[in-house]
Formats: sequence, C-alpha cells, structure tokens
Amino acid sequence: MAHKQFRFLGVVAAAMVLAVACGGTSGGGTPTKTFKIGLVTDIGGLNDKSFNHLADVGLEKAKAEFKIQADVKESKSGDDYVPNLTDFATKSYDLVIGVGFLMQEAVGTVSGTFPNVHFSIIDGAGTDAKGVDLKHSNVQSLFFKEQDAGAMVGVIAGWLEKNGKAKKNKHVVGAVGGISIPPVNHYIAGYKWAAKMEDPSVNVLVGYSNNFTDPAKCKGQAQTQIGQGADVIFQVAGGCGLGALQAAGQGGVYSVGVDADQKDADASVIASALKKVDVATYTAIKNVVNGQFQSGALTFSIANEGAGYAIDNFDPPAELKTELDKIQAQIKSGALTPPADIP
Amino acid sequence: MSGVEDIFRLLFTANLWQATLAAAVLLLLPALGGVISERSGVVNIAMEGMMLTGAFFAVVADLAWHNAWLATGVAVLAGALMATIHAVVSIQFRADQIVSGIAINIFAAGLTVFLVNRIYGIQDIGHVTPSESLPYINVGGLDQIPFVGKVLFQQNVVVYMALVLLVLVHVVLFRTRLGLRIRAVGEHPQAADTAGINVYLIRYSAVITSGLLSGLAGAFLAIGVSNTFVPNMTDGRGYIALAAMIFGKWTPVGAFIACVIFGLGEAIYDNNSIIHVSPYLLSMLPYILTLVVLAGLVGRSTPPAADGLPYVPGSE
Repeated sequence: MAHKQFRFLGVVAAAMVLAVACGGTSGGGTPTKTFKIGLVTDIGGLNDKSFNHLADVGLEKAKAEFKIQADVKESKSGDDYVPNLTDFATKSYDLVIGVGFLMQEAVGTVSGTFPNVHFSIIDGAGTDAKGVDLKHSNVQSLFFKEQDAGAMVGVIAGWLEKNGKAKKNKHVVGAVGGISIPPVNHYIAGYKWAAKMEDPSVNVLVGYSNNFTDPAKCKGQAQTQIGQGADVIFQVAGGCGLGALQAAGQGGVYSVGVDADQKDADASVIASALKKVDVATYTAIKNVVNGQFQSGALTFSIANEGAGYAIDNFDPPAELKTELDKIQAQIKSGALTPPADIP
Repeated sequence: MSGVEDIFRLLFTANLWQATLAAAVLLLLPALGGVISERSGVVNIAMEGMMLTGAFFAVVADLAWHNAWLATGVAVLAGALMATIHAVVSIQFRADQIVSGIAINIFAAGLTVFLVNRIYGIQDIGHVTPSESLPYINVGGLDQIPFVGKVLFQQNVVVYMALVLLVLVHVVLFRTRLGLRIRAVGEHPQAADTAGINVYLIRYSAVITSGLLSGLAGAFLAIGVSNTFVPNMTDGRGYIALAAMIFGKWTPVGAFIACVIFGLGEAIYDNNSIIHVSPYLLSMLPYILTLVVLAGLVGRSTPPAADGLPYVPGSE
C-alpha cells in the first residue's frame, strides 16, 4: 500500500514540475495612479485568432493611449471564470472585461458580489444560472450586429454571381456555420439576405459543421457546397472554418473569412466579415477612463464602425466597390436593415 | 420526407464514399493502435492525446522545415513519446491504466495550447501550403475505373498507407509467432512468462506502436486534411476509435468495419447543406447505427482476459 502511495506521489510531483515549468508571469503596471483594467478570456485563450485575440488588441490600443495598467487572465476551463473575475474585482480594478457569451453567468455572479466594480462582457450579459439578465447597474453588455458584416460580404458574393465574375457562375454560394446559435445565424442571415438582394436567382447553401475546432469537419461541408457549384464559401465557424477556406482554395473557388481579417489563412480568401471586438473593448475602456461608464447594452454595428468588412486577396472591380459603398451607406443611415434571422 | 430520399440518393455517389474512406482512416489508425495495445494487455484510451500531439508537432515541423515527410516522422515520434509515458506509468509502475490514459489526453490538450502560445505568441499558428502537405495521389490507370476509382484510388497517401497497415496488423496478429506472443501476453501473461516470453518487452512495444499509429493519424489530420493546427482539432476521434475497437471485438478488420460506419455517418453529415434533415438529427446518425449494429449484429464483445491488469512477475 505504501508502495502504491509513493508511486502516486511520484506522478503528482512530475505534474507539479510541469505546472511550474508552464507557469507564466503577467506584466506589472506602473506604480503611479492609473486606471486598472482586467481582461478575462474564455476557454478559447488569447491565440484563438478571433474574439479573445481581438479583445487583447483593443486592450493594447487603449494601453498605448491612456494611462492604464492592463492585465490579462486566460481561462483554461469554465471553472476558471469566477475565480479570474473575482481576482481582478478584489484588487479593485476599475473595469473587468469578460470575453464571450460563455461567461454570462460568471459575470452575473461576480458583479453581484462586487457592486462597486465595473464589468463589461462581450456578446453577453450578466445573468443568473438560467440565462436571465440580472440587469446589475455595474454591468455593461457589448453586443454586435453580425448581420451588418454578413450583409457586406453577401453583397460581394451576390454581385460576383450576378455579373458572372466568379469562377463557375452557377448562381450558387455557400455558408458553413459552426453551431446553429444566434451569433452564427446573424452572420448567415445578413449574408443570405444581401446575396439575394444582389442576385435574386442565387441559391444560398447553408450547412452546419456542429463544431468550432475541427477544420476537417468544415472542409467536408465546404466540399459538398463546392460540389453543388458554389463559387463563394463564407465560413462562420471559427477554427473549424479554416478548413472551409482550405477547401475553397483547393476547389478553385473564393472564400470569405469571419470575425477577424483572415486574408492570411488562405489565398482563396477574398474578403472577411469583421466583428470589431477590438473597437468594442477599446470603447469600453475609453468610457471608463473618461468616467462615462454606462450599464446596459452597447451595440456595435456598421453605424458606429463596430462591424464591417475587409477586402482581402482580391481586387474588386470599380462597380463592385461602388455597390459596396452604396449598401454600406444605406445600412449606416438605416435605409436598409439586414435581418437578424435567416430569411 | 425528402430528407430520406436525399440520403438514399447520396449513397450512390462516389464522392460520398471517397469522403467516407478518408474519414474512416482518421479513425482506423488510432483504432489499430488500440487493438495492438489492448491485445497485449494494456488498456489504452490515450489515442486522442497521442493523435493531438502528433497533429501539433506535424504542423510545427512542417512550418519549420517545409517537408511533409519529415514532419510526419516528427509527428509519429511525438505520438510514440506520449505512448511511452503511458507505457512506463502502466507497465513499469502498474498504475491504473484508465487514469494514465485520461491524464495523457488532458496533458496533450494543455501542452499543445501552451506551446502554441509560447512558440507562436498570440498570432495565428499559420498554415501549411498545399505543396508542403501530405499529397493526394491518383493511382495511375486504376483511378479511372468508374466509381471504384474515385473511392479507392483518388485518396491521400496516408489512406493507402493505412490500408496496407490494416492488412499488416491483421497478418502479424493472427498469422505470425509475434502475434501469438502478443495475444498470449494479453490473455495470460503468467503463462507467457513461464514460456519464456518477455512480457514487458512485448507490452512496451505494443503501446509504443499505438503511439506511432496515432501520431500518423494526427499528421494526416493536420498536414493532410486541415493544413493547420487548431487546439483540440482531433475532436474526440481517439475516443471514437476506441469505440470502433470495441465494436470490432479487438480485431483489426472488425475495427475497420466500425470505422467505415462512423466515417459514413460523418460523410453523410457533411452534406447537411443539401439534405433536408435537421443537422442535429443527422449528427446522431453514426451513433444510432452503432447502437443498432452493436445490439443486433455484433453481440457480446469480450476484451482480452488480462486487458488492463498490470503484470507482476512471479504472481499468480
């Protein structure tokens, strides 16, 4: 028995050595009076090429402009959310930012415990266990109109099909979603709506990989759509969607990236639908620094440049550029409203 | 109603079966590894972690040296290294093999994410260009056969390798002296030891072989199919391979049949943008099939007698 325990201790010791070796240090701030901003990532981590990464970009931008001390905590699992948020809150940070819908309940809990600390949460609210918004006066929700960004890339896809400027021009385009959840479907809704507006005869194929991390799954979805004659593949599936971009490259058709500018992910990427989490994070910090923190929802859209698109490995014809500018102006002015639900 | 028709029509397309075989091979390689390991008496649920580690190091090596074969070699070694940990813990130290397997899976998930951060910072890990990835090869002449040509002879090089390995593992396990020894060690290590077989050597080799095969699967996934690394990209394939191994009654051929069924489910699911069935329902398909087949056709699945039991020399 004693022998067995000794063996177990050996394993624990080895694990501890690894844990120590893997431990990092977080940057220290300046000793003078500064605003303290804490950012807590969700399980995606800072290198998710998307949300958490962009939130960090916004934080860095704010750090360069304002006198702030910025610290980041990466969550390794869902159990880390509450401790990470609490740690910043107990140290009286001026703003604690939670990245992502997955942190809703944690933000709801911790914001109730620390009513004097300001919280911002991206893509969510501070909720109870049932997902009901607790409407704490110290919590701010940062939401996005993904459909605005989806509409802009939908204009590109539809315009290419209508004018015969794509590869096959069979009036088919595709979208590969991760899981059928609101943020994903908002993008696809805008995309489909705008593609149909440009080219009424276009058939928009919509598939879901049921996954956000496995590129092979999205590649399969995209290959099906390319087999059906799709000329443009819009990926709305995070890391999984990288496989859809690959499939487009190998199938000789165009693709569209999502959330961040994905022009480097594959040569086939002609545009990206942007959800400017960096703008949202930066704005939230700026408001706190200026003493203008507001509870409730703050929505980012084309109108306030919190959503948009980027042209990537593609030189758009002048008429397409004109069309894009026209539609963007109309969405901005409210003359056109992309739908939130897939039409 | 038309959803069933859609699926039926799909079953007659070569594209579907081509995708099925590719998806099946991603499961077959770790499943073969599992068969070898468990036939020697070491429970192995660490294929997921070994595959993920292989996938990661394949991309790292390919990005560094721009050579897919070199990268595959690195991936195979990385898988073997993880397997060696499992072997040392479960054979030498006789720890619980399930716990060791879970530890490796969790360790691999953490290690790869940690290394992505350390090596590449918060940037995109980058992607492997098609010319630096494991090639798709059309077998001259044979690939022109209608239907069969597309399914069997227009595949990634790893698919051909896996099919050869399937035959090889089957022959070695059931037609050679080495195979007899492996099975003897898994059924009754005391008797095997008495007969002069080195139980530890056989078990170490078997477990490490499972790492080699899982590492190869990781390389195929990362630099054959996906051309990039995404944390947790193996997405449970190691566990499905485990199910395929049990489904196949710890035989290579049985495991292969199971992998084809799972692969078919995956390939059908890939068509959800043109099938009029709820994607959620569609994603359950392979598992429903498994339950039906397991309950109705396969019957009782019995593991090797000494599977999971550490061997203590001289014990009864």
